[in-house]
Amino acid sequence: MTANSSRSDELSLWGIIKPVKEKIYIGMILSALSGVAWIVALVLLHPITTELLSESPNVNRLWSLGGAVLLTLIIGFILRILSFRWSHIGAFELEEILRTNLASHLAKVPLGYVVTTGSGKLKKILMDDVMSLHAFVADSTPLMARAYVTPILILIVMFLIDWRMALVSIAMFPIGLVAMRFAFTDYEEGREAYDAANEHINQTIVEYVQGMQVVRTFDDGTSSFTRYSDALTTATKTMREWASQTRYGAFVARIMFASLPTLVIVLPTGIWMLQNGWIDVPTLLLFIFLAPTLAENIIPLIWLSQLIIMSQAGAKRIGTLLSEPILTEVEMSQKPANATIEFKNVTFTYAERKDPALKDVSFTVEEGTVTALVGPSGAGKSTVAQLIPRFWDVSEGRITIGGVDVRHIKSDDLMKHVSFVFQIPFLLQDTIRENIRLGKPEATDEEIIEAAKAAQAHDFIINELDHGYDTKAGERGTRLSGGQRQRITIARAILQDSPIIVLDEATAFADPENEAKIHAAIANLTKGKTLIVVAHRLSTIRDAHQIVVLDHGAVVEKGVHDTLVENNGVYARLWAKFKDAQGWGLRRNQTDEKDKRAEEIIVNDAINVPEPLEGS
Amino acid sequence: MLNTYNNMIRAAGSSAPAMRSAFSISILSAIVQGITYGLMFPFFREMLAPTVSLQSLLPFVLALIGLVLLDAILRYIESEHEWTTQMDAGHEVRIKLGEQLRKIPLEYLSGRQTGDLNVVLSGDVNHVVMIMGGLFDIVLRTIITPLTAIAIIFFFDWRLALALLILFPLAIPLYQRIREVAARENRVSAAAHADVTANLVEYAQGLAVLRATRQVGEQSVRLQESLKNLREKQTVATQWGTVPNLFMSTIVQVGILTVTALGTYLVLAGNLDIAILLAVLAITVRFAEPLSIFAGMATMFDFMEAGLERIDALLAIESLPIQAPVQSIERFDIEFEQVNFAYASDDSKTGEQVLHDVSFHLPERRLLALVGTSGSGKTTITKLITRYADPQAGFIKIGGVDIRAVTQSELMENISVVFQDVYLFDESIRDNIRMAKPDATDDEVILAAEAANCHEFISRLPDGYDTTVGEIGGTLSGGERQRISIARAILKDAPIVLLDEPTSALDTESEVAVQRAIDRLVENKTVIVIAHRLSTVVAADMIVVLEDGRIVEHGTHNDLLDMENRYAAMWAAQQQARQWKV
Repeated sequence: MTANSSRSDELSLWGIIKPVKEKIYIGMILSALSGVAWIVALVLLHPITTELLSESPNVNRLWSLGGAVLLTLIIGFILRILSFRWSHIGAFELEEILRTNLASHLAKVPLGYVVTTGSGKLKKILMDDVMSLHAFVADSTPLMARAYVTPILILIVMFLIDWRMALVSIAMFPIGLVAMRFAFTDYEEGREAYDAANEHINQTIVEYVQGMQVVRTFDDGTSSFTRYSDALTTATKTMREWASQTRYGAFVARIMFASLPTLVIVLPTGIWMLQNGWIDVPTLLLFIFLAPTLAENIIPLIWLSQLIIMSQAGAKRIGTLLSEPILTEVEMSQKPANATIEFKNVTFTYAERKDPALKDVSFTVEEGTVTALVGPSGAGKSTVAQLIPRFWDVSEGRITIGGVDVRHIKSDDLMKHVSFVFQIPFLLQDTIRENIRLGKPEATDEEIIEAAKAAQAHDFIINELDHGYDTKAGERGTRLSGGQRQRITIARAILQDSPIIVLDEATAFADPENEAKIHAAIANLTKGKTLIVVAHRLSTIRDAHQIVVLDHGAVVEKGVHDTLVENNGVYARLWAKFKDAQGWGLRRNQTDEKDKRAEEIIVNDAINVPEPLEGS
Repeated sequence: MLNTYNNMIRAAGSSAPAMRSAFSISILSAIVQGITYGLMFPFFREMLAPTVSLQSLLPFVLALIGLVLLDAILRYIESEHEWTTQMDAGHEVRIKLGEQLRKIPLEYLSGRQTGDLNVVLSGDVNHVVMIMGGLFDIVLRTIITPLTAIAIIFFFDWRLALALLILFPLAIPLYQRIREVAARENRVSAAAHADVTANLVEYAQGLAVLRATRQVGEQSVRLQESLKNLREKQTVATQWGTVPNLFMSTIVQVGILTVTALGTYLVLAGNLDIAILLAVLAITVRFAEPLSIFAGMATMFDFMEAGLERIDALLAIESLPIQAPVQSIERFDIEFEQVNFAYASDDSKTGEQVLHDVSFHLPERRLLALVGTSGSGKTTITKLITRYADPQAGFIKIGGVDIRAVTQSELMENISVVFQDVYLFDESIRDNIRMAKPDATDDEVILAAEAANCHEFISRLPDGYDTTVGEIGGTLSGGERQRISIARAILKDAPIVLLDEPTSALDTESEVAVQRAIDRLVENKTVIVIAHRLSTVVAADMIVVLEDGRIVEHGTHNDLLDMENRYAAMWAAQQQARQWKV
């Protein structure tokens, strides 16, 4: 039985259902009992037929025996329904418990893990994988109990009644089992190839569908379609090979473990034994009822094991997520003395990489000052920013806030000290008001409006949204531009009023008008705060108190703009490139011909003379 | 059921004949089984005869063995068909769906979430097309074998047969009514399920913010509420869900018991041979289990039906029509004439008009910049040129030819699109670039890569041009991906280039490289660029300023500055933003 061999394994199905195991066991016991009831009802046919076949049947006894059959059937039936309910309710409870546990666990693992795993993949585990357990927990467990108990019980009953007939009844089994064994050699190997092919098909489809929009801006999809259909053809071929291999096994199983072949043996042999006086009619009858029931009960055992294998993969992913190491938390937070941040010889390596992302990084950000992190892409700027709110923990060295190691501050306290303004603004599917209030749950409505005003968001909230602050964000149909979303998240950060602000390329996607407003909002947010900004547009950080230049994970330069430019190092190079990029324009070099060309372009041509445009 | 059958046959495509013959064999095999059960009668008669003799049963024993063998042969033939048919059918449906994705209007394609489409191509095909044959086979057997057996029972005792025959059909309408209730409850729990999904995604995305306010794990009120709600709804749905099963099983058991009671009464009254009663009983008991799981089958059928409908719905979408006579593009000036456009009304877009009377004419090899706030219609204009959707009024011409009279492949041959989000396929860099021109030589690919400023970094990759994107996916920076996409476009060498200012999200170093690459791409091309940073389009031959889907200003940079209106204001705001410092 697979149950025993894998029970010890925490990642196994049996490990995962632990929180609701009582309910599941009850469901299994009830299910097994319902199987027993069905057999009892069949066995009761023995006295009934005996009575019916006697010289003078006792009608009263017949009716009471009939009543007993009816009663057992009803009991069996009720047991079955109860079992179904217990196991299903257990399964639903398990879904809730697992999702809560997973959600809680996600809150404790390094945020970096959450960010790099991505919400899509996490959703798959929390929704789809958890749901895939349902088939096992709710449906398979009761069936399994019944599928094991019923045949065993029938076998016992049959041997108790007449061992010769019992042997005849299972005559088909050895043939069936041997044939199946024979047919299922290489089964595991084939199964793996089959699963791999199936997985490959799914990947191909995902890629094809995702790429389609892009591909269609390219050609009519011929190139990617060929790839898609080739991949499908190969995978289908593998699957068909597997199918033709297992076909015989499946076929033999279906033929052997069915009621008719068993009856072919039981009927003539039984009548022959009857003729020889070895058994009586009621006994033969009982075997005619029991023997096919036994045969029919073998098949579920075969496909149940398949079902378990299928659920196992999901269980494994859930277990892996649950065993993802959590950030260590201190019992009591130490209180930072001020908002000075210090990196002391910080080295950091991502879990699955060999080379460190940061090497021996040291710098200090004094309270109330602005520090810019600058460097080519991949230099480690974002990593530095993410280490402050403990998205990850440093591998060596330490980061302190107000003299306290960030690892000695409880993470929710730490999050209150540090506001992170992300590149991609996050909004809850809730009202704008609640989205801002997230920064400070006890804030009054007035405080929220104040924050929105400071974030340059009040005007558009009042004027452009149908329900003002009560408009739901994120709902389909509510069209908030990227810049507007950004300003709402800044309002939230303003309300949160943390002494340290970490800003990550917040303005890259905004259009010009929004950009000016976001700048104003950020100015209000960062007033008097300790600010660390991951910068790309170097002009914005020219006046920073300190510019930390990173390259390949190490600090290569530190200082203010003017000195760094004079130093002629990495920063000077970046600055030159930046100025170059700023000066770029499409066809800049061809301007002399421009005036001639402008005349050729006709906007709103003669057919449609638009009304004169009024100034706004 | 007939409806489901027709849908299935249609979905099976060219495997339909094979599937039909598999079903015919199934029916035959089911009838053989029914007859085999009928052989119980002579055996029971002999069993209860005063003197039992196996010899007199010999013909029946042989018949029994013969029929079981016949059934085995039939099943074997059927199994030959079953597996391969289903795989072929699944394969064929996927190919059909794949081709359909190439044809359906882009507007529809981008309106659907990729997840939804994956469900159809992957899930529905797996869980519907690949199993429908097997499922239908079981249903056929569950119905036909008992019916055949009952027909035989008629020969021995019409009263018992009639009792059996009446009970089961009676149950069906009642059963369907109950099932509707259960289905309604299931919809309720499906909605609760969707709610949990949305909340979980939100939770995962917002963890950083939620942690700061301690709204995590058990304190995450919204998530907890939706989880609790889901469990409650599921529990109710389960209770209802058991009802149809319960009902069906009850009917079956009651049927058997009624027949037994009736038979016993008749036997006691001397009206019926006990052998017949026992044989009937032995037969009907065998049908109890299959018939009671029939209820579960019905749910599977609903599920199947829904999946087939989704597949059909996707296949039913018509591609944009090509106007006759089909023309080809000879020149490459672009003309918009009084174009009005509204997105098709669906969940995400409201169907309001996004372009109003947009007209302009861009001569060959000139550069037009589209400028305006987000939502002003810039992107829509570029999309319409690729025939993302057709305008409701007005027309778009390239080289004087209405783009609706050009095949989609010819249209796209003449247009290169470079957008901010770059999609790279999980194959070699070389193939990713070559995609633009499948017959390009390796040298051509390298030349394009050099022009796009990506030859150098590609050469540094472990396998150079043969490095697959999957191996290094995460390590390619935005600028590098962008340059690969520009190399594609350079290789394609289409006379028209549409640019959605691709540099605004890049870091400085990448930006310079991408800018150089773009310079080479747009040389001598007809270009329309969506500009975010006005400084990049100062030299445009024409700048069109859009506001709420209308052209409000147009002219060269200097013309527009002189107007001292919208453009001038935007220019001033951006100059000011450039001065901004933290």
